[in-house]
Amino acid sequence: MEPTKTEIVVVGAGPGGYAAAFYAADLGKKVILLERDPKLGGVCLNRGCIPSKALLYAAHTITGAKESAHRGITFAAPQIELDKLRAWKDSIIAKLSGGITQLASKRGVTVIHGRGYFEGSNTLRVETEAGQQFISYEHAIVAVGSKPALPKAFDLGNPRVMTSTEALEIEEIPEKLLVIGGGYIGMELGTVYAALGSKITVIEALDSILMGADPDLARPVMAYAKKNFSEVRVKAKVLKMSTAGKQIKVISEHEGVQKEELYDRVLVSVGRAPNSEDLGLENTKAKLDEKGFLVVNDKQQTSDPAIYAIGDIAGGVMLAHKASREARTAVEIITGEATGADKAIIPAVVFTDPEVAWCGLTEAEAKAKGIEISVAKFPWGASGRALTFDRTDGMTKLIIDPATERVLGVGIVGHGAGELVAEGVLAVEMGATAKDLSLCVHPHPTLSETLMESAEVFYGHATHVFARKK
Amino acid sequence: MDVKLPNLGEGADSGTVVNLLVKAGDTVTAGQGLLELESEKAVATIPAPEAGVVSQVFIKVGDKVSVGQRLLAIGGNAGAAPAPAPAAAPVAKAPVVAQPVAVEAPVADLPPAQPGVEPTASPSIRRMARELGIDLTQVRPSERGGRIVIADVRAYIARLQSLAAAPKATPAAAAAEKPAAERVDFSKWGEISKKPMSMLRKVIARRMTENWNAIPHVTQFDEADITALLELRKKFAPAYEAKGTRLTLTSFALKAVAATLKKHPIFNSSLDEAAEEIVLKEYVHLGLAVDTDAGLIVPVIRDADKKSLLELSKDIEEFAKKARDRKVSGDELKGGTFTISNQGGIGGAHFTPIVNKPEVAILGLGKGTLKAVVREKQIVQRMMLPLAISYDHRVIDGGSAARFTVDLLAAIEGFTEKDVAL
Repeated sequence: MEPTKTEIVVVGAGPGGYAAAFYAADLGKKVILLERDPKLGGVCLNRGCIPSKALLYAAHTITGAKESAHRGITFAAPQIELDKLRAWKDSIIAKLSGGITQLASKRGVTVIHGRGYFEGSNTLRVETEAGQQFISYEHAIVAVGSKPALPKAFDLGNPRVMTSTEALEIEEIPEKLLVIGGGYIGMELGTVYAALGSKITVIEALDSILMGADPDLARPVMAYAKKNFSEVRVKAKVLKMSTAGKQIKVISEHEGVQKEELYDRVLVSVGRAPNSEDLGLENTKAKLDEKGFLVVNDKQQTSDPAIYAIGDIAGGVMLAHKASREARTAVEIITGEATGADKAIIPAVVFTDPEVAWCGLTEAEAKAKGIEISVAKFPWGASGRALTFDRTDGMTKLIIDPATERVLGVGIVGHGAGELVAEGVLAVEMGATAKDLSLCVHPHPTLSETLMESAEVFYGHATHVFARKK
Repeated sequence: MDVKLPNLGEGADSGTVVNLLVKAGDTVTAGQGLLELESEKAVATIPAPEAGVVSQVFIKVGDKVSVGQRLLAIGGNAGAAPAPAPAAAPVAKAPVVAQPVAVEAPVADLPPAQPGVEPTASPSIRRMARELGIDLTQVRPSERGGRIVIADVRAYIARLQSLAAAPKATPAAAAAEKPAAERVDFSKWGEISKKPMSMLRKVIARRMTENWNAIPHVTQFDEADITALLELRKKFAPAYEAKGTRLTLTSFALKAVAATLKKHPIFNSSLDEAAEEIVLKEYVHLGLAVDTDAGLIVPVIRDADKKSLLELSKDIEEFAKKARDRKVSGDELKGGTFTISNQGGIGGAHFTPIVNKPEVAILGLGKGTLKAVVREKQIVQRMMLPLAISYDHRVIDGGSAARFTVDLLAAIEGFTEKDVAL
């Protein structure tokens, strides 16, 4: 059979892959987008960002109703119809995924559903339901993403041991849920299940939750979890799990003491692993690192001149917006639109309650790199807006270069931090100074004022806090 | 921290490593010399920006290095490396402040970026710079926080263009720089040996060619009677000796030239060809050509008109030594208004020195010899000093040169005890 010829084939239709395919098509390239799932959108849309945020929204409704009692508004205990909740979540996914399919067709991107296997540097074999076909391409962009890691010792073949993929399907509300790993996935899903009524225990091997976030940003999340979860056990380890009837028996160790406990379900959220297996990458010149990620340069080029890699499979932080950015880089290099990629800051958001978000330099990074910084913090207790919705457990801080007064990083914890951090990204990328932020009038009463006021804290004259400049 | 090559001064952005003074593992103190770099007309010692232990050396003798290039790494020494010493700052933080564009935008109050912090510019500017191949660390920012905006990039490009265009202004010079079309095989006629032109040799070659080509030279000869001057010198030399310096003919020459230049300011001027203006300088900074093993070096003695013979003597000695040790800094080679080349110590009589652009005149001194001359109708023996003044005929006419020469002779011949006594 004659192979189908194309200029660019994109393997994987997640937020990196479809962005790459669309952009390449917009630049006049002939593009095939290959996806092994029946639905486009990848993990982010189907099993990650989007469904988790939908469920978190539902969870906030429940907690919000509960917390309004002291305002004189009480509700009956919520009736939760899981099938309906799941259907609503799935409808969002369907809408978005359908939208991507439509956008692909409008752009003339050929979408093929099937598994791709590299036969060589310029040929891809595709197994589809209709049979086998071959694609011969000039450039391939590998955007196959990652999957939740499930260590062998935890893989009991029992559906009660879940990864994020299964947890997002909310088959049931377990009475007792163990979350292994206190990273952002574990904490977000723990928040969802806690709101739905599960008793949550988090076991984290490191000495704090949300590694990567500055400790002062993680603190309010820890406080919330302490109040709403049964337990957050740090510096602890799960040693062994086994099926015990309708429960899972878990043996863990904490401060030298072994414990045996029974849980109705266990969520394993200990990281994500690259999907580099069974791709035929060994038939190309592309190289994998020891963890199975494709090795790329700053132009997203692998060691095979015909093959580019973007997103989770290319290593680095595993975030959708990083993948989308890398998609643009890869396409621009292939098409000659650009000769390289500029460093861009990749903001991070954790959708816990409260949310944590940061961008640019963190305090920990500054310390590690020996960069001298000043930190200006504005506590949300001084924000009128935060008071009006009862969430003063927030803080906005600016990481500032004391010499140039340039904003090098922004960290926010609090309700809606994920939306607020975008201003931080703009400030850092545009090279704004604290003065710039303080001179921009921010609307009142909004949380955005906390950015302006933290800049004013730097100069020692914030309106709503009294703090002398150091 | 990485030690990068700091700015070497206007026009010099690279050099050749001639001597490495440290090796990996050495402990250095802030300010200690790390290596010697030959550039332009000097060998500069590059100091350590802070104390510590040299962990790695990235260069070797003979390497050509450019401003901003990593030279070696100094590891922090727990005891000896607190906050970077102020003196160290210009080196450590060189990439932003200390680059040639400094002459343009007067924004000296902007603090430099920290090492590890990228240059500040919006994403669109960064992309444009990358696509144009512009290193933003070389662009001088004009905005708050050291932010680079499009105007800064434009200014930088304009500067690059003017630098690129400069050599084209003297096509003859450019042509002369090219290797001869036909290479001669000298070994056909006998034994030969070869050595590469040093950077200093190349600079001298380029400068001399440029000066020779650009300036219509005229050289005026004369002889000064230094019999009386030498007697003064003999009489007062011990007193100067006691003050730790030598009273030489060159000291007198400098003093006489400085005084004469004040009377003939056109000899202390420069020609601004672009503006079609003659720039007259209120100051008198005298370049002193020093013959060294490596080649000609011309350190500049500042404010020679305001200095006593003693001060001038000290300056001459200091600079001659510095030049021979190749320790003259880039700044000490700049800003001269008139040059004196004294070959008297070696021998020789009249010669035709080449004007040192952008100066407009140069004085060449030969060796004083006893001659029979006529004084008051009698033939007497006098010590006569051959001197030659080359000048830029675009700026100075023959009449002016003759008048300058007459006054210079009078100054040299007119020293009195009062002038010399300490």
